Amino acid sequence: MRTAVGLVSLLFCVLACLLLQQFLPPFSYLHGARLVLVPMVFCYAAIALPFPAMLAGAVFTGLVSDLMYLHVVDGQVEIALGWSIFFFVIFGCISHGLHDSLERNRWWVCVPVAAIATCAYLFAQFAMISFRRSGFVADPAILWRILAPGIAAAILAPFLHFLVRFFASFLPEPPRLSGRNY
Amino acid sequence: MKKLNIVLLLSVVVLAVYLSTLPPGTMQSFQGGFLSLISPFLRTGDAVQQKIGSMGEELKTLDELESQNRKLLQQNKELLTTNNLLREIEAENNRLRLVLEYRERSVFKLLPARIISHDASTWWNTVKINRGFEDGVETDQPVLTEVGLVGKTTTVAKNEATVVLITDETCRVGAKVEGTREQGILSGLRIQQTSSSGQMQLNFLSKTARLEPGQKVYTAGVPNAVFPSGLLVGTVREFRVGPMAGQAIVDPSVDLSQTEDVFVIVGAK
Repeated sequence: MRTAVGLVSLLFCVLACLLLQQFLPPFSYLHGARLVLVPMVFCYAAIALPFPAMLAGAVFTGLVSDLMYLHVVDGQVEIALGWSIFFFVIFGCISHGLHDSLERNRWWVCVPVAAIATCAYLFAQFAMISFRRSGFVADPAILWRILAPGIAAAILAPFLHFLVRFFASFLPEPPRLSGRNY
Repeated sequence: MKKLNIVLLLSVVVLAVYLSTLPPGTMQSFQGGFLSLISPFLRTGDAVQQKIGSMGEELKTLDELESQNRKLLQQNKELLTTNNLLREIEAENNRLRLVLEYRERSVFKLLPARIISHDASTWWNTVKINRGFEDGVETDQPVLTEVGLVGKTTTVAKNEATVVLITDETCRVGAKVEGTREQGILSGLRIQQTSSSGQMQLNFLSKTARLEPGQKVYTAGVPNAVFPSGLLVGTVREFRVGPMAGQAIVDPSVDLSQTEDVFVIVGAK
């Protein structure tokens, strides 16, 4: 029951975050950095959910993220559909390894995970674009656009944790996370 | 790790590999379908954003509204008169071109559209408009305003389309500079930072080109190109001479961060 609710909540939150991001303006004083919420939400769910549910979440999150931002110009795809699934599976596996920490109430583990996942997601996109456009551009703006969303994710991660705990308290089972499935 | 988990993990990896090998056209069709699904949410978000944005505007007095209405009516009359005059000139121009055995300049059919969201991507400059294939929009159609070029359509869904802006590095436009014989390829800078509307680079100019700030840049209209000739793209900000060729930095004529209403060229009249 809790797993099903958790998975459905993840799918709903990912879609809601993608839509919310569409209407949030960039931070002009941070070189046009934007708020990127999806990796933070996914990584938190990956820590809390059992492994098969995490994989299902990774497929959904990766697919909708790619479909939202797929960039096809003149018949050329910059970043192919499906790469985000790889990314979220890898970060899902890493995050899932911290499942026990969250069970022992070390909620702060979600903070570095959210920051690292967000920065890594943006850096991977930038690296792939640079590779395709044959040439890296070194600029402080790029650093800001990668780091600032990571910092924002780190700040927001505890709020997400306490929000989830609050809603979890309304579920019929006691508010404890299920054990490892492997 | 359980065997079932390993099997599931491998299945997901195989699915991701399969998706990444799909042809671009198929990926675009998937994206079009997805856009159609989320379109009600995008439109609702746009409506809410508009409502919030126009809250201050609604607090106008009746006198102010009357005065604004008078000005708009007068402007409308002036524009109608100018439009009729230009139609006559256009017809005359085409007649003269025919006499001189030039190809008749085609008149484009413009479809009005509204930008419903500026994409939240960090690395690409795209927007979504509220017109799709049901309205006659197709891939690679120019999008413009009365001030100049905005971009071109990429993925087209039922009632929405994605437009890649001219300030994106992947949107390349053949362009010429006013008052010169200089032509080059115009594209956005990868990192936009100084201007909120973005900047572009006009490459492959001759090293001897003496471009001055403020010179206008128009589409060159090369054969089989997406953009017709003569559309205003922007103005030259500065000119640099590189080791191989000259490069101009160009400011777009349209404020792409503020634009809300655009037109799609859906074909010839």
